[in-house]
Amino acid sequence: MNLELITLLGKKVDQEVYEVIIPTADGEIAVFPGHEPLVGIAVPGAIAIRTNKGDDDSKLDYYAISGGVIEISQKHVRVLVDEADASSDIVEAETKAALDRAIKMRDSAKNQVELEKAHELVDRHTVRLKVAGLRRRHHR
Amino acid sequence: MASTQQLKSRIRSVKSTKQITKAMQMVAASKMRRAQEADKAAEPYTHAANELLTYFASQGVTAQHPLFQARKIDTRLLIVVASDKGLAGAYNSNIAKTYINELRDDKKNNVKTKSIAVGRKASQYATRLNHTDILGVYENLPDSPGSSELHAILDTAIKNFTNGDVDAVDVIYTKFISGMVQQVIVKRILPAGFEETEVSTEISSALYEPSVEEVLNGVTYRLVSAQIFQALLDARASEHSMRMMAMKNATDNASELADDLTLEMNKARQSAITQELAEISGGVEALSE
Repeated sequence: MNLELITLLGKKVDQEVYEVIIPTADGEIAVFPGHEPLVGIAVPGAIAIRTNKGDDDSKLDYYAISGGVIEISQKHVRVLVDEADASSDIVEAETKAALDRAIKMRDSAKNQVELEKAHELVDRHTVRLKVAGLRRRHHR
Repeated sequence: MASTQQLKSRIRSVKSTKQITKAMQMVAASKMRRAQEADKAAEPYTHAANELLTYFASQGVTAQHPLFQARKIDTRLLIVVASDKGLAGAYNSNIAKTYINELRDDKKNNVKTKSIAVGRKASQYATRLNHTDILGVYENLPDSPGSSELHAILDTAIKNFTNGDVDAVDVIYTKFISGMVQQVIVKRILPAGFEETEVSTEISSALYEPSVEEVLNGVTYRLVSAQIFQALLDARASEHSMRMMAMKNATDNASELADDLTLEMNKARQSAITQELAEISGGVEALSE
C-alpha cells in the first residue's frame, strides 16, 4: 500500500509500505494493506513504518509527528500533520536541551498563554526525544 | 559645467550605491527561490485537506459545523500581511491601499472592523488608524508552520469567530503568481470554505475515529491553518520577488547614471585640455609676432 506523510513543508514520505503504526487518542493502530476505510485523528507521537513484509523491528523507520488527520483506504494511507521529523534528523542532545528549556519555561510561566505554549513545547520535545531513543535502541 | 573633481566623487558614490543594490538584489533573488519552493511544498497539504472536506461536504456533515456557518456580517476581522522591512518597491503601499479600501467599504456598510497586523510595516500602519480594533501585532514571523505565532493568529481568528465576536475573517496578502506578477488579494478564510476537489481515494463509507465531529474539527482546523500559512508563504515570496525587481531597477538606474556621469566627466576633461592647448598655441602665436 502507498503511504503519504504530508506536512506543510512538503511530502516527507511517499512510498510503498507494508505496515504503518499510527498513534491515536485511543492507542496505536497498526495499518496493513486492505485495512477498512477510516478517517481519524492522530495525536502527537511516533509513526513507525515497516517497508517490507519480512523486515524485523530493527528496520522500522520512525517519524515524530505533531497531531494530524489520518485517511485510510484500501490501497492508500494518508497522514496530514503540521510537522514530521525523521528520527535520523533529530539530534538527541539538542532535543534534550530544548526539552529542559521548555520544562524550565513551564515552571516559570507567568500567565496562561505562556503556560500553554510551554506545555506544547514540552510535549513536542518529549515526542522527539522518544523517537530518537527508539532509533538508538534498534541500531545498537 | 561641474568640475571634474566633483563629477569624480559623484561617480564614486553612484557606483557604491550600485554595489549595495546589486547585493540586495542577489540576496532577494536567493530568498525568493527558497520562499517559492516553500510555497510549492505546502500545496499537497492544502490539496489533501480540500479533498477530505469535499468528501465530507458530499456526506452532508459540514453544514452543521460551527466554522462553516455563514452569518450576516456585522464585524469583520482583517489579517493584514505586510513585510518587516522596506525597500521592496510598491509591496507595502499596495497592501496599505487595499487595506484602506476595505476599511472604507466596511465603514460605508456599517460593518465594524478588527485587525491583526503581521509584519512591522503593517503594524506601523494599522496602529495609526482609528476605526479598527487591533487584536494582535506580529513582527519577525519565523517561517515554520509549527511556530507559536501562527498558532496564536489561528487561535485568535477561530476563537473570535466561534464566540460570535466577528462574523467573517479575511486575510489581505500579496498572492505570488509568478516572478513578474504579484497581486494583492483579500481572501476569506472563515466561515471556512474549501475548493471542490475530485476525491481520488476510495474513502466512501469510511469509519470515523473517534467521531465525525472530532474528525471534521481536526480537518477544518488544519485547512484554515494551511490557508493562513499559505498566505504567509505567498506574501513572503511576493515580497522577495518585488524587492528583487525594485533592486534590479535601482541597479540599472545606477549603471545608467554612472555611464552618463562618466561621459560628462570625459567631456569636461577633454574641454579643459582643449582650452589649455588653445591658450598655449595662442601664447606661442603672440610671442612669434
